[in-house]
Amino acid sequence: MGSVMTKSADVTLLEVLDRVLDKGVVISGDMVISVADVDLIYLGLKVLLSSVETMEQLRGSPFAGPMQEAR
Amino acid sequence: MKLYLYGIVDSSDRIKEAIDGLRGSRVYSIPYCDIGVVVSEIDQVTQGVTQGCVLEHEAVVEKLMADFTVLPMRFRTLVDGRDNLLAMMQSYYRDFKGNLERLRNKSEFGVKVIWPADKVKENIVNRLRSDQPETSGPRRSAGTRFMKEKFERYRIDEEFQTRADQFIKAMDIFLGKFAVEKRLEKLKTEKLLLDAAYLVEKSQACDFREAFWHIKSAHPGFKFLLSGPWPAYNFVGLSKHDPARDAEQANLFAEVARSQDLVGADGV
Amino acid sequence: MIAHAIVETDSPDEFAEQIEKSQDALPAKIDANPENVEKGLAKLVLTLIELIRQLLEKQAIRRVEAGSLSEEEVERVGETLMKLENKMAQLKELLGLKDEDLNLNLGPLGDLM
Repeated sequence: MGSVMTKSADVTLLEVLDRVLDKGVVISGDMVISVADVDLIYLGLKVLLSSVETMEQLRGSPFAGPMQEAR
Repeated sequence: MKLYLYGIVDSSDRIKEAIDGLRGSRVYSIPYCDIGVVVSEIDQVTQGVTQGCVLEHEAVVEKLMADFTVLPMRFRTLVDGRDNLLAMMQSYYRDFKGNLERLRNKSEFGVKVIWPADKVKENIVNRLRSDQPETSGPRRSAGTRFMKEKFERYRIDEEFQTRADQFIKAMDIFLGKFAVEKRLEKLKTEKLLLDAAYLVEKSQACDFREAFWHIKSAHPGFKFLLSGPWPAYNFVGLSKHDPARDAEQANLFAEVARSQDLVGADGV
Repeated sequence: MIAHAIVETDSPDEFAEQIEKSQDALPAKIDANPENVEKGLAKLVLTLIELIRQLLEKQAIRRVEAGSLSEEEVERVGETLMKLENKMAQLKELLGLKDEDLNLNLGPLGDLM
């Protein structure tokens, strides 16, 4: 996958992901479509970094279960 | 019109420089009273999440950091329409305002420490063995031997935790001096002794870094990582209670249970 | 691409490894077949048994530490815990479950065990 990336780029990316996916302001309410909660926190890092399309293939159906795009 | 949110800023001024957002969209701010929310228009809910998008999001937030105090939004927060956005701002105004005041002129620094867990354990085991010579008493039956082993392992773990506490405390004495707030996580993995976030006044950033280098030199067998300055991801706290959010929390548990295949699709 | 934040370390590989390890909330596999109700139930039951087993073990150790168990009691408790541990190992093998499978992630509350 990341053949161009050096390991120090990995660490930087991981530091960013650690904050951006898991922390920061979380708002909720009817008008908010925040899919960040379930599908990003509770998935392993490696899974996240693949595209949603690939994940659809693995699951066999689009947007089933916790991968729902819109509530 | 779906609006992608990057963060809340402590000004109702428009953003002066041209910033590129996700997928090259234009980033602009929408004022609300004396604060603002920074957005892009993204018509379709973002698909194909890749690390590139995440870095784009972060780049926007960091550019804002130069001119404003920013409350960074978690990745992939969208609001459906401007009216809803303003309604959201209204309900969260107090929370946002409070956080902006608290976080003004401060940045977050990350400190991670790896320690030689194996050596520490070895040291502990040797210590315990020398303190307690093997009592080769009468024939020991299986149950007693089992308990003895478990107990030993328990003591090793306890001592391991205690030493971790001691090291962390010693480091925190130096780092904490220059921080107004902190979040410390001990032993996220066996080797990752400490994963910490420190909220530091911009004027004290240099002192903080010096304290970090000092600690690093004082622990040659350990490995250190310093990152920052970040927007205060770890230090934003919302207190607002929202009945929709509580219901959402309940749904969250249900969803997680489903995703773990503990409950079938039909709720059985 | 990052505007401001810099990551400084002389061991980037090791930190990358540890951070990845600590961020894996779920086992990496995605079950593409959501109809494994039975396996789901087995997992749930075993998870709870495992939890209880660990709690019992901890209690026993505390009592050993406090010295409030006689030699006979230590032997009996030890034997029971040992049998329980072996039984769990057998069940796990029978059902093809690993230790990592038997841990409920309670979302914001973290992991059960």
